[in-house]
Formats: sequence, C-alpha cells, structure tokens
Amino acid sequence: MTSAAHILAVWLTPVLWLSMPSLILERGPDGLWTGLALVLVPLIALAAGAPEPAAGAREPAFPVVILLLTVGVLFWANMILAGDVAAWLGAPRWHGIAITAASGCLLTTWRGAWRIIPALLLAAVLAVNAPLPEVARVAGVGPLGAWARVATLAAFHFPSTSSWVTAGRDLRIIHGGGPIVFDEEHRITAPAGGRLFARTPDGGRARDLEWTLTPGQSVTFRAGDRLQSNSAPRLRFESDKRVPGSPPSGVAWAMGRPPDWPRHAGLLVTVLFGALALCRAGAPVRPSRSTVALVAGGGLVAFLWAQGWAVYSLLASPDLFLGGITPERLLALPALGDGHPARPTLQALLLAGGLAGFLASSIALRERLVALDRTGGGEIGRDVSLWTSVFAIAGLASLWHLDCWSLALLALGTAGSSVGATALGSAAAPPGVATFAGLVGLAVFVALAVACQVRGGAEGLLGAVQAYPALAAVPAAAVVLRISRWAVS
Amino acid sequence: MRTVTNRGMAVLLLLLVLVVFPVIAALPNQVATIRLAGLSVLWWYGGVIAPVLAWLIAVAWLPDPPPPRRPE
Repeated sequence: MTSAAHILAVWLTPVLWLSMPSLILERGPDGLWTGLALVLVPLIALAAGAPEPAAGAREPAFPVVILLLTVGVLFWANMILAGDVAAWLGAPRWHGIAITAASGCLLTTWRGAWRIIPALLLAAVLAVNAPLPEVARVAGVGPLGAWARVATLAAFHFPSTSSWVTAGRDLRIIHGGGPIVFDEEHRITAPAGGRLFARTPDGGRARDLEWTLTPGQSVTFRAGDRLQSNSAPRLRFESDKRVPGSPPSGVAWAMGRPPDWPRHAGLLVTVLFGALALCRAGAPVRPSRSTVALVAGGGLVAFLWAQGWAVYSLLASPDLFLGGITPERLLALPALGDGHPARPTLQALLLAGGLAGFLASSIALRERLVALDRTGGGEIGRDVSLWTSVFAIAGLASLWHLDCWSLALLALGTAGSSVGATALGSAAAPPGVATFAGLVGLAVFVALAVACQVRGGAEGLLGAVQAYPALAAVPAAAVVLRISRWAVS
Repeated sequence: MRTVTNRGMAVLLLLLVLVVFPVIAALPNQVATIRLAGLSVLWWYGGVIAPVLAWLIAVAWLPDPPPPRRPE
C-alpha cells in the first residue's frame, strides 16, 4: 500500500493529473489519449523492472543531479498552477505560490513525513471526487448522458448565467494563450470602460484597431476579428453567441482531428521515459503484484475523474473555451453556478485536495532522491537548506508566468533523455558509461529544445521532434549507451 | 526466464493498448464515431475499455518478485 502510494504520488503530481481534464476539453480524443498515456506509462515502467546494479559498483552522482533538477522543475510547474488558481479566484498570484511553497517547505523539516503520503493521497482523492456527485445531480444526467449531450451540441454558446455575460471578467487572467477570434458578429461591452485593442482582416492585410470606451459602452466585432488580451480591464460578452476559439460543434469536439502519429510518438516517448526515470529511481527492482494493482487502480480512478470532470464542466460552462483551456479554470468549479449554496465548500475541498496532492507528491519526490543517494545515506532528501532553496527558487520563478503543462513535459523530457534512456536492460550499465550516454541524451535534448524556441512551427516528424525533443534525445542516448557498453566490454 | 517473458509481454500489451486508440481514430468511414449506448466507439475504448484492460494486464501478467534469498 505504502509503496503504491509512493509511486502514485511521484507520478501523479497535481500538474499532471489536473492537466488531464483540461487536455480532454481542449483536444477532445487527443487529450483523452494523452490522459490514457499518463495513466499507463507508470505501469509500463513498473513492468519493465529496474536493472540490477552491478555488485560493488560506484554510485554515480549524475542521476541524483538530474533527478534534483527534474523535481525542482516539477515543483515550479506545480507552483505556477497554484498561482494561476489563486489569480482565477480573485487573489494575487503570489498567495497561491506562497501557501504551496511554505507548506511544502515545512514538511522537509519532518523526517518521518513519508509516513503520511498514503493519507495525503487518500485525502486528495476524496476531496477532488467529492464535488462530482453534486455536479452530476445539478446537471441531472449521468456521465454517459453528459458526454452524449456535449457531443451533440450544435455549437458552444455563452450561457446566460456565465460570469463573462453577467458581470464580465478580466481577459488578462486567461493564460491559455488561445486567440480570441470571433466566428460571428458579437457585441463586447466594457462595464467599467477602458481601452480595447483588436486586429481585423482588411483585404489581404491585418489592421490594428483601438477604442477608448466609456463605462457601459460597446463595440461590435465581426467574424474574423481578433480581440487582443491586453484590452480593457473587464469585458462582457453576449449571451447565446458562439464562444470564440471553441470547436465548430460538439460532434467536431468528440471526433477530434485525424491522429498525428509523429506527435503521438513524441508525447509517448517523453512521458514513458520520464516515468522510467522518476518511478524507478531508487525503487525496488521488481514491485509486487499488489503494488502494481494499486498503482493501476489509482491511475484508473484519476482518469475516470478527469473525464467526468471535463465533461460536466463543459456541459455547464462552454465558455471554458474562451482564450484556451487551462487547469485552474476547471478547479474553479465551473459546473456549479455562482449562486449554488455548496459551491464555496466544494471549491475549498478541491483546493485542499490539490494542496494535499502536491504535498504528497513533494514528499514522495524527495524520498526518491533519498533512495537514490545511497552513498550520502539519503541526506540530500533531508537537507533543509537545500530544499528551502529549491522551494524558494521554484516559488520565485513561478511568479513569471509559463504554461505549467509544457514545463512538466520539459521536466519529464529532461529526466527521460538523460536517466530514463540509460535505465533499460536487465543489468545496469557501468556508471561511467551510463553517465556519458545520459550526458549525450541531455545535450541533444537541450539543443533541440533551444532550437525549437528559435525556429519552431515545423510539421510532420520535424515538428514532433521540435515539440518533443526527447523523441530524438532518447534514441541518441540509447545508441551511445549501446556503443559505449560494447567498447568497454 | 518465465518472469522475464511475462514482464516483456506485459510491456508489449500495455503499449498495444495505447497504440490501438489512434488506430481506431484512423479507421475509415468514421467507424470511431459510431455511438454505442451514448458513447462513441473511440471514447468507449479510450475512456473505459483501455484503462480497465491496462489494469487487468498489469495484474495478470506481472508476477510477484521472487522471495529474497536466505543467507547460507
């Protein structure tokens, strides 16, 4: 039980499991497949088993350094999410970041913190699942019926009860990065006035427009016009109009796009080798059947929750598509209206569940480093000054807003390319060989990640390698490992 | 030897469970969109059948580790 809880806490860090419903909403079947991959890869990592370390072999520092880096970036991604949740609920971002960082940091001082991982995980599961029955009751339909309703919608319209329609909201809190391009004529009102920026197609060129509105004044946008996110502080949209950026219909959402095989492969390699690096670091060579059954069961619960949460949220709140879907918008309990009496309680439960998940994950990730650091007696996991620095740096970095899902993939890709790729096979490679191959994998990964930032936007296999550099870095590390093994034998 | 075979088989089957999803999505004549009891074939597979299959594979194909050897 404890072992399974540790593996689940290591892998299903909140930024990964809370991204599942938002990916399902945003990408339809593609997101569903991503969620499925996230649930299955730890099982594949456990099934693959860990290589037996060579007797008397010196323990390399490389995996410890990489894992420390990975854990730091995962903390960073989680704190970005905590900041986004705080901002969406109307509080300053730093409140969410500070609470998360301080509570995580506090637990590093307690040496026996690993004992509470199962309890924290159970609390997280119960807390985030608690609102689902109420959400289903309010919707008046079961999960299958809710999916069928969403999948038959003619279009995604702003409901009249949406806060974007009633009081209006600030566009700047949307971090999805999706363009707000109108599909039909749409009147936008600035209840408090302010400046409005837009880009409109004018023949073959785009023309920038700007208005200064008095309180309550409106502007009508035409199909193809694009509203800039740095516009007026608060904007109101029209009820029953199509949500800009939403799929054409429920049928189109449920059907998705034709599979992009290279990108599927890129995502799979990234998460699979990331799981090999994270789930097997310092873990028993072969877990027991009951451990695997519990890990699989935990993943199944998380995946079913993500689907139910996604579908009910979309059914009640199609305006989630406005500006791109991000996890914090789903944590704000969009499936229940603003006036629902149980909403504050259930929202608090969700937040508590997310925090409990993060605490369980932070302890479990630290324990992985403890198990890996055999030479140092695991002191790296209990070094209060080190972990205070990690939490402080991650907390400060998360004030700078980034996409938490991309950051989590970056962490997994780094770990997978350098440690995961060299951990295949029944016997561990000699430490020097594994480190050399890992360094090559890391170098390829970093080079491709930088190249993607400089020159992105390619299609096909090249686009997949740019989006998921582990797709090239993992084979590179594996080939170098094989050649080096052959050379030293 | 048997353990290695079982583990290898489990890895292959779990990967197969993942790969079948885009294969269904790519089937001609929009087979993936056929509705069964309200849900499309693709969502039935990806959302319900595949994770349950994965659980069964993990439990059925992964044997317990051998007991630790006693010092002689």
